[in-house]
Amino acid sequence: MSFALVFAASLIAVLALVGLAAWARIAAPTPPLDEPSARVLMAEEFPGEPLSALWLSADGTGAIGRAGDKALVLVRVGDAYAARRLPWSAARDAAIADGKLTLPGADAATPRLRLAVGAAWPPPEAPA
Amino acid sequence: MKTDLVTLATPFFVLAVIVEILAARFLAARARYEARDTAISLFMGLGSTAAGLLTAGVVAAATLFAYQHRLFTIPMTAWWAWVAIFFLEDLTYYLFHRLAHERRFWWASHVNHHTSQHYNLSTALRQTWTGGLAGTWLLWMPLAFLGFPPLMIATQKGISLIYQFWIHTEAIGRLPAPIEWLFNTPSHHRVHHARNPRYLDRNYAGILIIWDRMFGTFEPETDEERPRYGIVRNLGDFNLVRAVFHEWAAIGADLARARSLRDVAGYLFGPPGWSPDGSRETSAMLKARWAATRR
Repeated sequence: MSFALVFAASLIAVLALVGLAAWARIAAPTPPLDEPSARVLMAEEFPGEPLSALWLSADGTGAIGRAGDKALVLVRVGDAYAARRLPWSAARDAAIADGKLTLPGADAATPRLRLAVGAAWPPPEAPA
Repeated sequence: MKTDLVTLATPFFVLAVIVEILAARFLAARARYEARDTAISLFMGLGSTAAGLLTAGVVAAATLFAYQHRLFTIPMTAWWAWVAIFFLEDLTYYLFHRLAHERRFWWASHVNHHTSQHYNLSTALRQTWTGGLAGTWLLWMPLAFLGFPPLMIATQKGISLIYQFWIHTEAIGRLPAPIEWLFNTPSHHRVHHARNPRYLDRNYAGILIIWDRMFGTFEPETDEERPRYGIVRNLGDFNLVRAVFHEWAAIGADLARARSLRDVAGYLFGPPGWSPDGSRETSAMLKARWAATRR
């Protein structure tokens, strides 16, 4: 019984703290990606892998870079990014539905990567 | 008993998180909070408490069994006994923590604590749900077998856990050199939570950083390279279940495709990132690649 009370009180505290964190608006600023900012992020996440092409998602929340036969993918998660390296062919052949490119995730931590697609996909440098 | 000490400290934890958020909001203290990330951290803390109950009986029974077969009888009232358990428990924590990072079976439960890309006081509460099942509590059994009373062990474990709460912050810079030399500090623990190759698998300390200095796993925080937090392959969403179990699921998928006992052993007990053909990267490989780019 006492555990149930402590647990209930803790649950209320958790909800209050989450509310406080949302109210405070102190998340990291994440303006839509442009090419320079995407390249900086790509260099941080994939050092030593120079890009031959870069594509930004339509809403600026993600990017795909091409480095040889690899697609280097960034997807915004909250105020941060998840990065994955996929075979380029997997990115090129990925399905588009409802304006979203759905890339197969490479692992259990990210089953899918979804990016808003615009007219620019695939990048002109990519082979058809 | 451990739960009692930590439960007693819980109001302090809540208050400290409030203070950190308000200090960031109104005093420009260095702290970032994203609401969904905070929710995951706090719900993982809450769930960890509940999950701990599932194995608490087994842990208590095993500790009592070891104590009943103790080598010596160490009195709780002796000052030297507290000094001894302070150092021995802290060394045990170092060993546990190193194992939890360097072998995948134990990493699967500990990775939970590292999945936030933020480093704030709520991150400290992002605790595992599966630690009891992973069995790392066995590492503390030798203390009971030596003759430290279970209550004494639980108390010191609680003290260590409470100590480690306050170091999960960016709001505190570097402390005076003697403190940084001796103790685990926010600066040292920022390094531990960083995923920059330079910082991977470093600073395993609980209270005293001396163990890392002694065993070659110490890395200072540098102004040249700010820590980037999280794990090498960060989570792609805020799904609580995925956050808790993703590495266990990944192990299951790997075991399903294992072709030999060597593969099974590697997937379970190799370093995180191990693969039979070396196509994935372990921390050691990432560090080596990083070091090569600096030459």
